[in-house]
Amino acid sequence: MNAEVPGESRFVPAIRVRHLWHRYGAQDVLRDVNLEVRPGEIFGFIGPNGAGKTTTIRVMATLLEPMAGRVEVDGFDVSVDPERVRKVIGYMPDHAGVYDRITIREYLEFFAQAFGVPDLAVVDAALELTDLRNLQDRLVAALSKGMKQRLGLARILLHDPKILILDEPASDLDPRARIEIRDLLLELREIGKTIFLSSHILTELSDVCTSVGILERGRLLVAGPIAEISERLAEQRARDAYGVDRAVAPPAAEGTAEAEGGPAVGAEPSEPAGPSVTAGGAPVPGSARRRLKLRVLGDSRAVVPLLEGGAGIGVVEALPAGQLAVEYVGDDRFVADVVRYLVGRGVGVVAVEPERNELERIFLEVTKGELQ
Amino acid sequence: MTSGVAPGGGAPASVGEGHVRSAAPRRLNPIWIREMQQAARFTMTPILLAVLTSAMALLLCAIGGIASVSTAPAEVGHVLYQVFFSLAYAVVTWIAPAIAASTVASERGGRTWEALLLTGMTPTEVARGKFLAALTYIGAYVVMLAPVGALPFLFGGVTAVEVVMAFVLLGVFAVLGVAFGLSVSARFTSSAAAVVVTLLVSSNLSIAGYLGLGVGISFGVHELWSGVTAGAPVWMPTAYVRGDFGLEYVAILVFAPLVFTLVPAWFLYEGTIASMASPSEDRSSGLRRWLMVCTPLVTLACVAALPVAPSDEFAAAALATTVLWTFLTFAVFVVAGEPLGPSRRVRVRWDREGATRLGRYLGPGLMNASTMVLGLGFGALLTVGVAGVVLELWRGGPSAEVDALRVALFTAYVASFFGFQVGFGAWCRSRAGGASLPRFLQAGALLVAFLGPWVLMAIAGLLTRGADGSYVVASPSPVYAAYMMELVASTRPERESLLLAGVVAALGWLVLGVALLGAAGRRASKVVAEHAAAIARLEAALEAEDAAAREEVEVVPSAPGVRGPRELA
Repeated sequence: MNAEVPGESRFVPAIRVRHLWHRYGAQDVLRDVNLEVRPGEIFGFIGPNGAGKTTTIRVMATLLEPMAGRVEVDGFDVSVDPERVRKVIGYMPDHAGVYDRITIREYLEFFAQAFGVPDLAVVDAALELTDLRNLQDRLVAALSKGMKQRLGLARILLHDPKILILDEPASDLDPRARIEIRDLLLELREIGKTIFLSSHILTELSDVCTSVGILERGRLLVAGPIAEISERLAEQRARDAYGVDRAVAPPAAEGTAEAEGGPAVGAEPSEPAGPSVTAGGAPVPGSARRRLKLRVLGDSRAVVPLLEGGAGIGVVEALPAGQLAVEYVGDDRFVADVVRYLVGRGVGVVAVEPERNELERIFLEVTKGELQ
Repeated sequence: MTSGVAPGGGAPASVGEGHVRSAAPRRLNPIWIREMQQAARFTMTPILLAVLTSAMALLLCAIGGIASVSTAPAEVGHVLYQVFFSLAYAVVTWIAPAIAASTVASERGGRTWEALLLTGMTPTEVARGKFLAALTYIGAYVVMLAPVGALPFLFGGVTAVEVVMAFVLLGVFAVLGVAFGLSVSARFTSSAAAVVVTLLVSSNLSIAGYLGLGVGISFGVHELWSGVTAGAPVWMPTAYVRGDFGLEYVAILVFAPLVFTLVPAWFLYEGTIASMASPSEDRSSGLRRWLMVCTPLVTLACVAALPVAPSDEFAAAALATTVLWTFLTFAVFVVAGEPLGPSRRVRVRWDREGATRLGRYLGPGLMNASTMVLGLGFGALLTVGVAGVVLELWRGGPSAEVDALRVALFTAYVASFFGFQVGFGAWCRSRAGGASLPRFLQAGALLVAFLGPWVLMAIAGLLTRGADGSYVVASPSPVYAAYMMELVASTRPERESLLLAGVVAALGWLVLGVALLGAAGRRASKVVAEHAAAIARLEAALEAEDAAAREEVEVVPSAPGVRGPRELA
């Protein structure tokens, strides 16, 4: 199916979920879920256990009939055209089973034939892509969990689906296997696959995902590119804090350095504007403050006075091994200003990282930790 | 990780190039091949086969050695033939279902079932692959046992054709056993549970079949053809050789085995596929086609049995009607799993494919299924009843008219009660969320209807000190139909009133059944209409959203550098 609708100047979403409701017994597990995944995206689907992620995924994969609403995959309604949907998706459930007493090659050849793939050379390509070629004659039973996950990925690639739906692909994997799976996902995106994956491991999602959706108690709380969500939340915070649009709000954050001709931080350490109150004295909500971790050459305690009291800077804490924890209000430009300022003062900045991953921050901000 | 991606982000040889799914049929069923690959690596298989074969050979040699001391070799050969094929029958009817029972259930339990479904393989393809795999496996047992089956030749007493026919029948039992195990497996998610249930049922069926269809029927067949040994369970293969060709030969050795094989085998096949399909799929058409063809077939078998019945034609007619009613009751239980109406998916497919009225009638829908069962059932019972009456009158004799009345009353009562069964089943299904409760209620209603009135009659008899009139209380029981047959020839003073009570009870069942069917129809129509309305509302809401989105795109100016809302989304 073409990605573009004839006569319309918009793309058909790879996945489109509209007003999806589902119920188990008397309990609504999905409540009016709406989301779109565009072709070529890696969409991370996040939520606590029991939020309804797997139910949503199973509906997309044609394994569960939605009770209300519509789910379209590559333009096909999963309720009406499951066969067509199955041709364009590759679905890997969490804890998927395998056939133990056959070899990797036999396993993949079986699925290639089951998919009706005309040329079994695709098995070699899948083995190559998933780096399983050297193990192709090994029995599936002898594979590690990580290898089985790779085999699962190889399986769902055999019929060359446009869209990959992966439910917790990195669960129970060791760090190396996780990194390998993550790299593999990036490779798959490179070759044009749309990937929809759920995971609990937020740091990994933020590394690979172009967009995310956060589900809690069956409701989609937020969805979109991480930066865009972050931006929206920042605006929301500003509105909540000051009652006005962020564009006219007065905090010393938001990368004022360039506008004011110099770095905001440290320029005047004695400036009274701190991170915990606004210029007008109103308290800044806790969620508006961020924490940054710096690693510098030498004793980090010597750097503390340089930052303390700076505009937009809050508590500065020296940590062992040349590390510093800096509380601040601002965006990435502000962080760049801090680094530039420190380097200008002769401080050797070795590493800069947000103390908490951006996606984790968003997740904690929008969810309430409620289970259903 | 080494990447298989070509420089520049291109795809490797095949992945990423967009495969076109092959339209050509697969040469061999991939599931069959995979199951064989797995079985070949199961080290216990050859050990089991060797042990079984050795044990069987040793047993036969021992029996042959002991028996040949005092018995003629030809007789020993016949005994060994019976022993060998009895044991082979046990192996096949116990092991074949058990092997098949673990097939589909193990896919579900092992969490490989969904991966299999998503390949696009149809339930039919999956069922065939599993069937062939299990049949191949049990075939290996039979092939290993075959040389042992040649041992009776050393003694004589059986011909080669008899041995070959016995192996053919063994094959038929293997097919039925595998089909049964597969149908159970398709309904379970646990392999262990499926095997246990299958073994419980198949072992009982196996023993009942051995004693009833084997030992039991051999006496009757011996009376017909003296060459067939009375009491020998493996009588059918010898009957093919030793029986005299004629109407009985065709009826007993050709028609009856065909009906007894095809009817259950086809049902098990359709039932397996229906169990494997999604609830939104058309799971009804196959079973309804089976019902549409097999009801006349079973009816024909029942009618054909009437002329060859040895004595008491009216009793034979009643027996044939009872057999037919049993089959129809089974059909009512099958229909209890019917959805109230076709799913949206099925309706869209019908529209796309231009399904005929008959095709739609055979599709999912409680009322279609119920009216079909009712029509077929009434037709079948009427046919058997009329055939019985005509046969009685044609044979003549002093009691011909009385016997004809007996047959007519019995059949009429059974037909009326069947009408109630259909109506009650449809009503239960229309009020329930699934198939289990209606089936449970249907079974309960049968039990109450059969036994309840007799219990009440016993109490009434106690109260009226054994007055014959108390039998009136038992008239609602279908068993009363048999009592009515006796009453017709009775000279009791209450005869008329007791017969009238039976007729009234039969009419009562029929009226109640029709009323319940009507109520079920109204309920089903309401639910289907509500479902359709909900879908229509959703469609309208989505269409309105789409229209609003389109309007928004048109309103926002798409000047250079200004992105429309859809692009921003």
